[in-house]
Amino acid sequence: MAKLIGLDKLANYFRVIKHNGGILGSIKTLLRTDDLKFGTLVGVDKLGNKYFENNLYFYGRNRWVVYHEKFGLNYDGSLVPSEWYGWLHYKTDYLPHEDPGRPKHKWMIQDWSENLSGSDKQYVPYGTTRTKVEGWTPPK
Amino acid sequence: MLRGPLTKALPCARILSPVKTLSTSAINNEKFEVFIDDKKVMVDPGTTVLQAAAMVGVEIPRFCYHERLSVAGNCRMCLVEVEKSAKPVAACAMPVMKGWRVKTNSEMTRRAREGVMEFLLVNHPLDCPICDQGGECDLQDQSMAFGSDRSRFTDIDHSGKRAVEDKDIGPLVKTIMTRCIHCTRCIRFASEVAGVDDLGTTGRGSDMQVGTYVEKLFLSELSGNVIDLCPVGALTSKPYSFTARPWETRKTESVDVLDAVGSNIIVSTRTGEVLRILPRLNEDINEEWLADKGRFAYDGLKRQRLLTPFVRNCQGQLIATEWEDALIAVAQKLQTSEIAGVVGSLADAESMVALKDLLNRLGSEDLYTEYPFPLEGSGTDLRSSYLLNNKIARVEDADLVLLIGTNPRFEAPLFNARLRKGYLTNELDVGYIGPKVDLRYDYEHLGESTDLIKQLASGSHAFSKKLACAKKPLIVVGADLLSRPDGAAILALVQQLAAKVTTDANVSSEWKVLNVLQKAASQVAALDLGYKPGTASIRDKKPKVLFLLGSDEGTISRGDVGQDCFIIYQGHHGDHGASIADAILPGAAYTEKQGTYVNTEGRAQQTLTAVSPPGLAREDWKIIRALSEIIGEKLPYDTLLEIRDRLGQVAPHLIRYGELEEANYAEQATELAKGVSSNLSSEPVDVKQKNLEDYYMTDPVSRASGTMAKCIQAVHKQKQSKYYEEAVN
Repeated sequence: MAKLIGLDKLANYFRVIKHNGGILGSIKTLLRTDDLKFGTLVGVDKLGNKYFENNLYFYGRNRWVVYHEKFGLNYDGSLVPSEWYGWLHYKTDYLPHEDPGRPKHKWMIQDWSENLSGSDKQYVPYGTTRTKVEGWTPPK
Repeated sequence: MLRGPLTKALPCARILSPVKTLSTSAINNEKFEVFIDDKKVMVDPGTTVLQAAAMVGVEIPRFCYHERLSVAGNCRMCLVEVEKSAKPVAACAMPVMKGWRVKTNSEMTRRAREGVMEFLLVNHPLDCPICDQGGECDLQDQSMAFGSDRSRFTDIDHSGKRAVEDKDIGPLVKTIMTRCIHCTRCIRFASEVAGVDDLGTTGRGSDMQVGTYVEKLFLSELSGNVIDLCPVGALTSKPYSFTARPWETRKTESVDVLDAVGSNIIVSTRTGEVLRILPRLNEDINEEWLADKGRFAYDGLKRQRLLTPFVRNCQGQLIATEWEDALIAVAQKLQTSEIAGVVGSLADAESMVALKDLLNRLGSEDLYTEYPFPLEGSGTDLRSSYLLNNKIARVEDADLVLLIGTNPRFEAPLFNARLRKGYLTNELDVGYIGPKVDLRYDYEHLGESTDLIKQLASGSHAFSKKLACAKKPLIVVGADLLSRPDGAAILALVQQLAAKVTTDANVSSEWKVLNVLQKAASQVAALDLGYKPGTASIRDKKPKVLFLLGSDEGTISRGDVGQDCFIIYQGHHGDHGASIADAILPGAAYTEKQGTYVNTEGRAQQTLTAVSPPGLAREDWKIIRALSEIIGEKLPYDTLLEIRDRLGQVAPHLIRYGELEEANYAEQATELAKGVSSNLSSEPVDVKQKNLEDYYMTDPVSRASGTMAKCIQAVHKQKQSKYYEEAVN
């Protein structure tokens, strides 16, 4: 009966507000992530990003990450460390600490590294085609 | 060497030649009427059907016929019907008769064309998609317009198509001889215009081949023109091969500056890159030919370029900098009046006038050109002393030319082509003072001594009689000869000689006997603007700052000005000038700027911007203008129009593009030259470019060009060939 007249939606609405820390907290989250959700906190990674799950939402939207506040609006996908990447992208249903058989090789990047795009240290691929005009270099 | 190599090469031409018919019908010189497609046209006797048709705007398809070559009449594409004639006639070779009614679009004509086209296509590969001529191919166009709409060629499974081995004829022209349709245009060009009788045909029927008979390269300073002449893709440009289709490129009409002739060119560009250079029709200068250096040296525009400004740091190392730093560094040094400027061979008039204005404002009058010229007598005040006064085109009319200390074949190939044309068609006789060189036509070699000029001027030499008898004599002096220490005496003597010949031969005042052949494209404009010729006085003055505007000939070195002198080089190539400079300002090459150049006959022409200057390089006059503002002596022009206005103030003819400004004070120049000492040195008359290998690399652009380097290698290779023979003259 409650479902029929949409009272569960109203209940979810209040849960969302509560989950995000009241009205002010919700406005803040909305500003930062353009989305309001509620769910179970399943873990926190070494950068302080929080991972949530709520199967009320459909597959693809039921796992999400809320980046640590220190990143502000300046967050991007590269902030997810490799151990959380698999769970967040549905490669596995095991959380990092639950997964016993996770391979560990020397070549795997163990530590998280910052995304340098847009800075002067960004990676720029070099071409192997010859330039149209060859410049003169002064004799040494 | 026979005067008419055509009659030797093509026996049929003797029968078909319109020249021949002209002489037979000379009795009756009245015009008569003929009808082309029922259109009436009045023609001179001896006019061919094709020429008559062209007069009324009817174009008859052709492959072998070319206006500037003799008539071969062997492709048969120009067959047209003539009323009451049983067979179609070849329009290119048949002179029209009175009252003929020619039908260029009748059933018979169309069938004849279709038949010829079918035969040509049977022996032509269907490789248009990989052929470089695609898009500008006469065979392609004419098979679309006049060919049959279906093929009857079925023999492909049995004997296959005819195929011919490719020939290696040099680093410039690529041959795919299977595509050849035997129009013989290249053969006729080589023997008539270039004067190199290397190409010919062997075999007959379907075994006919165009080639060089023996394994030999087709080396000539005009060889690139056979690429334009070839109506199919048999002869294509090697450096341009597989580069672009003609419809993809943007064409810019410009002027060649690699010699002083000022040939008109079209620069084809795509994606900011010069892909090829083709000649542009200009009857007064280059007709429709272009010398190989102007045509193929363009790859030099992409190598050894100055892309950023450079300033020498305290360790003595040239460091790439931004414009701001370079201009400020240069401006600090320019706060002096002990400054000299030298302009090189490729400088445009705009940058020269800007440099002159700047240095004059700084209190210096020391502006020089790289190539010396005598200053005694009238010096460079009267233009007649340094111009090719009689115009390039009128050389064909001359009946006697005396060349003194010049090798026009390499200094001005297209001028030499005119001389050869006169030699072939106008009974031109050539006398020559200088080392024995191969001009590709016969000449009377008078000797190498400068005394000969004295003897000729006094009339004691045997050749003087010839000069006196000639109706239209010309004297052409090389600019190199006048740059010798005794150049003033030579010029004075030549002026006397020219005056004597003018009175003896009683030529009209229109005909200018004295001509000076310049080598550098910038020289005439520089002298017109008031630059002093030669760099000798810089060595005496030892200025504190030396401004080199594209001077790369090495006429001035670090040792001449001392270690303390601050040398600024502005130009587009890292060549001699850049290597001695303390600061380098990257300028634009001739394809990258709109610049004024005056050719050796005094005709102002302009180049247009085909591509933008590479890297940080900028147009030359703008650099000087920017520099002047930093120094605090701001030049009063901001746009091209304003600086051209200034050019017009200094020398009005410099902005009258395409027009020739004649020089009229030859007599006064001769008068003024009378006081000049006539002490000639005993050194023989010499020319710098004697052989073909000396032709290819003469300026910063061609020295940077890989194609030109290959040409020189090819000439050396040819010399090792067992078929090589020294030129006899």
